[in-house]
Amino acid sequence: MKTRRRAGRTPLKVFLILAVKNMARYRRRTLITASAIACGVAVFAAVASVMDGFSSESDRNFIDYETGSARIVAPGYWEEREQFPLDMVVEDSSEVIAQLEQEGWRAAGRTEFRGELVIYYDPFPEDGNIPMAFAGVDPDRDPEVFRLKESIEEGRFPAAGEDELIIGRWLADRIGAEIGYGVTIMTRTKDGYYQIMDLEIVGIFNTPNPHVNRNVGYLPLDTADYYLEMEDAVTGVIIRGDERVPGSLDPAPIASLMEDRPVRVMSFSDMNKEFAEIMEMSEQITSLILMLLAVIAIVGISNTMLMAVLEREREIGMLRAMGVRNREIQWMFFFEASGIGFIGAGIGVMLGSLLMWLLVTYGIDYGEMLGDIDLGYRFGEVLYGIWSFSALIQAAITAVIVSGVVSLIPVRRMLKKQVTDCLRHS
Amino acid sequence: MITVTDLHKEYIDGESHVRALRGITMQIDKGEFLSIAGPSGSGKTTLLNLIGCIDTADSGEIILDGDTVTRKHARELVEIRRGKIGFVFQDFNLIPVLTAYENVSLTLSLMGLKETEIKARTMAILREVGLEGMEHRRPAKLSGGQQQRVAVARALVKQPLIVLADEPTANLDSATGESILQMMRGMNERWGTTFIFSTHDTMVMDYARRLCRLHDGLIESDEKRSA
Repeated sequence: MKTRRRAGRTPLKVFLILAVKNMARYRRRTLITASAIACGVAVFAAVASVMDGFSSESDRNFIDYETGSARIVAPGYWEEREQFPLDMVVEDSSEVIAQLEQEGWRAAGRTEFRGELVIYYDPFPEDGNIPMAFAGVDPDRDPEVFRLKESIEEGRFPAAGEDELIIGRWLADRIGAEIGYGVTIMTRTKDGYYQIMDLEIVGIFNTPNPHVNRNVGYLPLDTADYYLEMEDAVTGVIIRGDERVPGSLDPAPIASLMEDRPVRVMSFSDMNKEFAEIMEMSEQITSLILMLLAVIAIVGISNTMLMAVLEREREIGMLRAMGVRNREIQWMFFFEASGIGFIGAGIGVMLGSLLMWLLVTYGIDYGEMLGDIDLGYRFGEVLYGIWSFSALIQAAITAVIVSGVVSLIPVRRMLKKQVTDCLRHS
Repeated sequence: MITVTDLHKEYIDGESHVRALRGITMQIDKGEFLSIAGPSGSGKTTLLNLIGCIDTADSGEIILDGDTVTRKHARELVEIRRGKIGFVFQDFNLIPVLTAYENVSLTLSLMGLKETEIKARTMAILREVGLEGMEHRRPAKLSGGQQQRVAVARALVKQPLIVLADEPTANLDSATGESILQMMRGMNERWGTTFIFSTHDTMVMDYARRLCRLHDGLIESDEKRSA
């Protein structure tokens, strides 16, 4: 026993082992705290899954049924679109579409206008006027751009040159409409004159976009052109790209193609701005909920670690007397709390995956809850989640790190005490 | 090896102001087996804590192995404690989640020694304190005497310059206490490790080769004794 070695660098493994043993020492407390963290991680993952699903489905439903990937409109039209102005139009739409098709774009014109759907008793159950939106669609080109035709549930898509109309299932059920029933649309022409269209319902569609199902009727573009006296003008030429991520289509090439025309090219992001703002607000509320969950988890872990530190004050004093450095004691508690966080995160990932699977497979049925209320959201009655592994990993890593960091608060306070005071603790 | 000069220490205990040490001066040589005795409140634990670098003096000086520890920064004191000082506490202070082996080997792990050396030295010291075969028991499965043996092994395994033992037999029955004292004295004789005890137990005083009595923070008597 002659050699004496200068105190060297302590392997952190020592404190890691000690931390693991201490976690097992307070098994019940470890499990309760880990469960709280697990709940936080799982709820975070589930909310993220629903939010991502909501956003993704909304974007898809916008693109597939309302906006397309990009749109060519008359300057100022978009700002006034809720008034459905027919004097702000894209002239010579056939030329515009031909020009786009020549460059390989899939494009279709639409004329959107406002009117009243007039129905009469017999065959309808009762008389009525329903103010709503209508759109003239090109039966040949529209299916290249939108998925409306795929959503026909009964009957067929309107044919070119015919006085035909299709309406959504939701509206059809409410007014008692069936295929073959005649309706009248009261509207105004491009020049502002009253116009009456007598049309036959030839199809009933049911899209995943409730806004379209409830509020829009579609008729052939040339029929609309004739009645509204548009003379080949449309309110918009809609373009569909092959982009995988909604909003990622670069509208610049289209804009340069259209630079000689008095039109404006709008990207999906431009058109989706208002909804994106609603989404942002909704995400902020979600963040607030998640922050509250995080606070609950933080309070849980900090309480656990505070109790652990207080209970082991003498032990801390003894370790310090033995020459354990303060930062090594901090590491020990950091490992312990991170370990609890790790267990919680592990359980949370499993639980979160299960919740995600339920959300992806069965979704949440809002139909009953919302009834006929139209919140303006573009998702169907069942809102499905999507697999969000990044949210799971993010939540798990955050849980581990936050747990570890939170533990340092009571430890640092304890380490400010004199070693002798720690040793005197009973 | 240890020079204590005019050491003063005061502290607040509740509402009272305690003058624990009022000018202690003493010299402790290497290999001594010293007992600091005195009634409660005489300042013996305070003196031990100051020599052990776990408390700071108000004034005075302690030179330990050539280092003036009273002028050292807290971080430097940690390194001194880690390398040069072993502690034995009245109530053992073993880590309950660790086995006897792990409690002892922790000290060597802190020094960053290799696993093989840690194992050899830990097993050797456990054999020395008579705990061979009990190395895998946790403190809860050991008697008080056995726990104190683990504590002694833990203090000695790093081959410190001094071992400070604060009332090491206070929580033990007299027979067990005596066996612990015999064991420590044997180690002192064989290895030359300096032992400093605080005690008010006459049996411990009897084992000491030097007895320093404190009273009200002052040295009342300091005598060398034959074994």
